[in-house]
Amino acid sequence: MKNESDEKPMMASNKTCRILIAGFILALSATPSWGAEELKFQYITSIYSDAQEVKLKQPQGVACRKNNLLIVADTGNARLVRYTFKDSPAESTAREISVPQLKYPQQIAMNSKSEIFVLDGRQRRIIRITADGKFNGYIDPQNTPAPSAYAPISFHIDKDDNLYILDIFSEQVIGLGPRGETRKRIKFPKKYGFFLDLTVDNRGRVLLLDCVDARVYSATANSARFSAITEGLKAYMRFPAGLTTDRQGRIYLVDRNGSKIIILARDGTLLGRLSARGWKEGLLSYPSQMCINDRGEIFVADTNNNRVQVFVEIE
Amino acid sequence: MIFRSAPVFFVCLWAVLLGVAPAHAVHEVKLKPGAKGTECLKCHETFRKTLQNRSVHPLLKSGQCTACHDPHTSSHKNLLISDINTLCSGCHREMVPDKARSSHKVVVDGNCITCHNSHGSDNPFILSKTGNALCVECHQDIGTLASQAEFKHEPVQKDKGCLSCHNPHASARADYLLKNKVPALCKACHKTDRPFFVGRHMNYKVTDSSCDSCHNPHGSNKNGILFDAVHAPVAEKKCKQCHPDPGASNALETKKKGVRLCRDCHQEMVAETFNKNRVHAPLTDNVGCLNCHHPHGTREKKLLNDTQFNVCGTCHADTVELQKWSIKNPKNENLCEPVKTGNCVSCHSPHAADNILLAQAENISTGMCGKCHEWETHATHPIGEKAIDQRNRNLTVECLSCHTGCGTGNNPWMMPFASTYDLCTQCHEERKR
Repeated sequence: MKNESDEKPMMASNKTCRILIAGFILALSATPSWGAEELKFQYITSIYSDAQEVKLKQPQGVACRKNNLLIVADTGNARLVRYTFKDSPAESTAREISVPQLKYPQQIAMNSKSEIFVLDGRQRRIIRITADGKFNGYIDPQNTPAPSAYAPISFHIDKDDNLYILDIFSEQVIGLGPRGETRKRIKFPKKYGFFLDLTVDNRGRVLLLDCVDARVYSATANSARFSAITEGLKAYMRFPAGLTTDRQGRIYLVDRNGSKIIILARDGTLLGRLSARGWKEGLLSYPSQMCINDRGEIFVADTNNNRVQVFVEIE
Repeated sequence: MIFRSAPVFFVCLWAVLLGVAPAHAVHEVKLKPGAKGTECLKCHETFRKTLQNRSVHPLLKSGQCTACHDPHTSSHKNLLISDINTLCSGCHREMVPDKARSSHKVVVDGNCITCHNSHGSDNPFILSKTGNALCVECHQDIGTLASQAEFKHEPVQKDKGCLSCHNPHASARADYLLKNKVPALCKACHKTDRPFFVGRHMNYKVTDSSCDSCHNPHGSNKNGILFDAVHAPVAEKKCKQCHPDPGASNALETKKKGVRLCRDCHQEMVAETFNKNRVHAPLTDNVGCLNCHHPHGTREKKLLNDTQFNVCGTCHADTVELQKWSIKNPKNENLCEPVKTGNCVSCHSPHAADNILLAQAENISTGMCGKCHEWETHATHPIGEKAIDQRNRNLTVECLSCHTGCGTGNNPWMMPFASTYDLCTQCHEERKR
């Protein structure tokens, strides 16, 4: 393990300076064996509060898609915060979304109609919230025996508004159509450590993240079984807890305990890493969920730093 | 002519001979006729007495001292011809089977003299001690248990003792050096088809079950050598609390899956757990409590499947590795006690918590660190609500602003940085040299 002081990228003391310094890049390792593709990311900004200057408190979820929208699960404050932005999210535009059913929002996603879906940690259920911030029921899959025989630990909404639920009780991924009808069930592979997150890439491939073995599994759109696309990646990360993909199909793993993002190619080849552990801007401390919008901006719920950080890939 | 000159030829010949010559040939000694074995005893007289032992190493008996020792010089202690950890395996290669399921560490490490005298003893196989006395020199906990247990397992107490069930060197068949897998090993003595056996197991067909999921093979203070830490329904023979009737086809399965099974008795604890913001994820899957606890009995407290540290390490191998690494770090003489002892639950709630990382308190400084370091909560670098972290305006300075909770590998004082200078100048940039 590298010393943290060795890992941290150089940080400028003021924001203007940061933006001006073109070479100020959050380093991705360019170790040749990691793959031919070289990635570079730049830190853009951090989001600390809402329009009323209420500070974010241990945010665990971020959702972004189109329409210059960013929704943050401000977990410690039991609320969601909605940001709109042009060049970067403006805290002055932030609006609080708070519904009584929301106790402990942990993970969020948006569909194409900007409806918000939230996995609530206390209730262990997925809550549906309208685009204008009103409670719109719970998502409970059909044909599931009882709430206690269903344990959603993560979920994802694909580009066609299908909702995929990672159910660790029935050991399967449950795929629901936009109207909530059950469309598919994909059983977990026979041997695995513990699945903590899932995502669906732009080709409809369902990806599962095994946090114990640091391994990624995939099932193609028409397949009913998962197979590993990576070996155990423990040598590169400590405890991956989040998973997402970008437009190119690259896979991003949020290493919670290692406080960094690991990036894989579509086929699972290691490409590099983003950020490192720390408190200053650009550095992460126990990050949770991340999302990438249609403009390629990367939002990371920097949970223990009480903020959301924004990065962008440099061509 | 391949070799154009005699020197080249001899150099090549020497090189070839050196390459193919057997290692032991170096140690062949041309003793004068009749000297074998007797010449050494002229000086090493104590071995005359050793030769009178009941069990003498065959090489010593036949006077082949030079098979192991070089009479002139050696790089190894006691003029041995090779390292003591590899010497024995030169002849005794068969001690660990090629596909061993388990092997004794001392054997693999070549520490044969931990158990055997190298020359001779009055015990069989030139062992330094006989019976269980030899094994319990290292395995003290088991020795204490076996000798003090109210209910003893007979084979452990007999002459063969530990070797009734274990092979001393390695086992090709089972873990823990067992001669055979459980229950086959147990069934060699215990006839599972007899009415007495069936009755004792409440008519459940446990003939192919793991006996050691309820019984402590070394002895215990519970009747039937059930583990001392035994689940109450097992001790009370109330198997039906969790299992269907013994006649059912699925009699050995559980009536319910996951935490739903345990909730029937542990209602209060489960209700309290599931009323928290964060439930430890394994509790919610279809294995539930049994991810960490054993349903019947174990050696560990609270029916844990293993030591608490190992149970946590099953999934959190990264944190466990960090802890182990921190312990080895000579700079970490002031390692936090719970980290030093691997007591994860000193700071984390294993079932559920309202706080991130299942921390026991929201305010880690006062609620967790302060439990032991009370003095530092009010006599240290400013911490708390008024002390804003210079690195991040949404953070206040807390213990974890400068320290890392689970250990920090090579860094001192559980700091996330290599030196105090690196740490302090994070905020006090004006002090940078």
